[in-house]
Amino acid sequence: MSFPRRSNLVVPAAAWITYLFLLVPSLIVIPISFGGSGEMTFPPQVWTLDLYRQFFADAAWWGSLIQSLRIAVFVTLVTTVLGVPAAYALQRTNLPGGKVLGGLAMGPLLVPVVVLALGLYLQLGPIGLADKTWTVVLAHSMLALPFVMVSVGAALRHLDPSYEQVALIMGAGKTRIFFKVVLPQLRSGIAAGALFAFLISLDEVIVAYFITGTATQTLPVKMYSALRWEVSPVIAAVSTILTVVSLAFAIGLMWLERKDRHD
Amino acid sequence: MSETKPYLDRWAGLALLLPMAALLAIFFVYPLARTVWQSFYEYGFTLRAYETLLSSTLFWKVLKTTFAISFTATIVALLAGYPVALHLSRLPPQRRMPYLVMVMLPFWTSILVKSFALIVLLGYDGIVNNALSFVFGSPIHIPMVFNRVGAILGMVNYLLPFMILSILSSLLTQDVNLGRAAEVMGASRFTIFRRITLPLSMPGVLAGVLISFTLSIGMYITPALLGGRQDMMMANLIDFYTRQTLDWPLASAIAVVLLLVSGVLVAMLGQVRGAGGMKEMAR
Amino acid sequence: MQPIARDMIRVTALTRTYGSFNALDAVDLSVAQGEFVTLLGPSGSGKSTLLNLISGMIEPTSGKIEIDGRDATNQPTNQRGLGMVFQNYALMPHMTVFENVAFPLQVRKVPKSEIETRVRDVLRLIQLEHVADRKPKQLSGGQQQRISLARCIVYRPSIILMDEPLGALDKKLREDMQLEIKRLHAELGITMIYVTHDQEEALAMSDRIVLMRKGRIEQQGRPEELYFRPDTLFTADFLGSSNLLMGTIDVSARTLQTAYGNLPLPATRPGEPKSGDGVLMIRPESVRLFSETAPETWSGLQATVRDSIVLGSFVRHFLELPGGKRVIVQEPSGASLSRPERGSTVRVAWGPQDARLLRTDPDFQNL
Repeated sequence: MSFPRRSNLVVPAAAWITYLFLLVPSLIVIPISFGGSGEMTFPPQVWTLDLYRQFFADAAWWGSLIQSLRIAVFVTLVTTVLGVPAAYALQRTNLPGGKVLGGLAMGPLLVPVVVLALGLYLQLGPIGLADKTWTVVLAHSMLALPFVMVSVGAALRHLDPSYEQVALIMGAGKTRIFFKVVLPQLRSGIAAGALFAFLISLDEVIVAYFITGTATQTLPVKMYSALRWEVSPVIAAVSTILTVVSLAFAIGLMWLERKDRHD
Repeated sequence: MSETKPYLDRWAGLALLLPMAALLAIFFVYPLARTVWQSFYEYGFTLRAYETLLSSTLFWKVLKTTFAISFTATIVALLAGYPVALHLSRLPPQRRMPYLVMVMLPFWTSILVKSFALIVLLGYDGIVNNALSFVFGSPIHIPMVFNRVGAILGMVNYLLPFMILSILSSLLTQDVNLGRAAEVMGASRFTIFRRITLPLSMPGVLAGVLISFTLSIGMYITPALLGGRQDMMMANLIDFYTRQTLDWPLASAIAVVLLLVSGVLVAMLGQVRGAGGMKEMAR
Repeated sequence: MQPIARDMIRVTALTRTYGSFNALDAVDLSVAQGEFVTLLGPSGSGKSTLLNLISGMIEPTSGKIEIDGRDATNQPTNQRGLGMVFQNYALMPHMTVFENVAFPLQVRKVPKSEIETRVRDVLRLIQLEHVADRKPKQLSGGQQQRISLARCIVYRPSIILMDEPLGALDKKLREDMQLEIKRLHAELGITMIYVTHDQEEALAMSDRIVLMRKGRIEQQGRPEELYFRPDTLFTADFLGSSNLLMGTIDVSARTLQTAYGNLPLPATRPGEPKSGDGVLMIRPESVRLFSETAPETWSGLQATVRDSIVLGSFVRHFLELPGGKRVIVQEPSGASLSRPERGSTVRVAWGPQDARLLRTDPDFQNL
């Protein structure tokens, strides 16, 4: 038996105002990017790819996109290669300092990014290591590490230790067990962490703004500098490219989570 | 009763942890230490930077602005986010997914993209003003960006996913039967909300407020792009002293203040949520 | 006379403590080649601790473990040459059934062609050849457990350890699997150490039961020895159900003075209490009901019938002695069965040699 209820519209109505406020700024750039380069209106008066032509005609723009993608790929590799073994070790040992180190790996989440950016600037600038791609990669890796640790750590907590025990009893060595038994079962956790790392690096502005120069400028830094001086329509094209990449990765992440729940 | 011995021995564990520990030491711990050190160092130990800060009207003004903007943005995010969390919590789980996607969308979008979009939307000749002009038949130019309103709107957009998920998680742990029981006893929906739902969701609200406020006070991009000249926040001041005046000790001292304030907030969050709360921010 | 079998496992004064808690307290145990030994006991009795010490997943506090004649006390788990079957099967979810069974052979660097035949052979042995290409999650619990058994058998370890392997299965399947494991044990002659808290399973499967209590071995022996000739109240109580009557031993009359009368004691045996308090244990199936008089040499008591239930192949009567003490009697059932009326008075009696005199135990106060 159900009670007749008066349908309540207050909550959905209020919620939908917020949904729109969340949705519109993230998506409006897409139609605008197909408008002309004259003025930014919605809906666009004419549909054209002019802004994308402008973007790819300017080496400074697409060069920084390539730079950003390169850095993001390296960050993904570094965080995965460092984070997965570390998360595994934190779960499967009881080293005295383990808890502290695990907490420290969460640290980059808790400290305002601008403070870290300043610290890295003070550290790298004077010894000539600013404006180098590999220092940006490592700095971004530090920022992305917590996301990898959380994703992989969660996957590890769901991994029954009896798989490793039974493999050990069957005579397997621990290296073989790590690669043949543990890693395959962490796949989706590792993939989620990698996607996170890629996105964090791709969208990161502040640290990159502090420690890159003309030689290593990333797309977000180029975009930030451009936005500070004038709101050029080509940014709509840049924004759309970034949004599409981000969305593709976000969908990938949600798919992974879903898959995990169904497995 | 039988707890097994750790699967990996001490040396294997150390070998696996060392690379990550090195990264953290060089690119996290050292820069922080360097900042603290720099705030006291200028051809030798000095308190000059802190003395300057104490007497700097600019610093106090920026500090006040930071807190005012962060406070307002947090409250607006709470007021705008609570109905969403409530709406989500009342949906059956299988129908929640598309709405969650909308909530998480800004989380995945670059802050620059959102800032750009807000400029285009809310600008002098922006889409919103144009639409209003069209509706009312006369030119309307409500100033909504490059001022405090713009900075706050931009920050609220950034904060909402954190706020909503935090409140949602405490709404979802509530026992549905409490509300049903109250309804059977004749309580109105508003009474149920005021007497049961709202009080029980307070831990989530508190955590959401703390997370939002912590994120706000460190904000850099949004106030720089969407705020006016008067809306400089601490992070922007750090940048100003670092790059414009090259006064590194002063920049570092402000960073130390920011670090301390957010440290206190994070500790409070830890009290509210337990250690798990920090990790939640990563989700 | 039986040939003297080699000891596959010999454990000497094996101890494991956690702080002040003795999970395992100076246990000695030998297991002969080809023997099926069950470690039985309630949770926390130390049976799993002993198993994990043998497998090497726990380090002993003191004592010695020998496997097949060599000292294995400090040997790493993966060099002990053991096999193990877990309650949760622990089949690798990312591998097919074939790959799961092949895994230990790959570890041993067995040539590929040989792996193929050996895996097929062992899958045929457990009659699951047709599921070779499926993933474990697509199989039933019973099938998964047979695969995990096959994964052990395939590399012919000298000993297979089983940690409550049937605990996750329902009753019917459990009985099938008990027979399957017994069959494989008989066919392959592998030494097996089997941990369970299920006394019926232990009775059904074992060559020898090692009953554990509080980190020590309470009693060990063949199933029928433990069942019919328990040395302690704990053993009597843990295996099957029993009627326990407490009283004071009258040495001269060789009776037990109880609240229900003086009951004659069985013939003396080594280890029985000589005087003071004692407990007389009689299995429900050793007690008979008589409407009038019992055989002269039998002990007998007057009792009131409280209830009488048919459990398929047997009937169980619940009786009450004067003063409220409950007595259970179990008889084989049959179509011509006539159940005593509820509330009627009957005589219960048992042969003197079916009773067993046991020491009192502080853990069994309210008998």
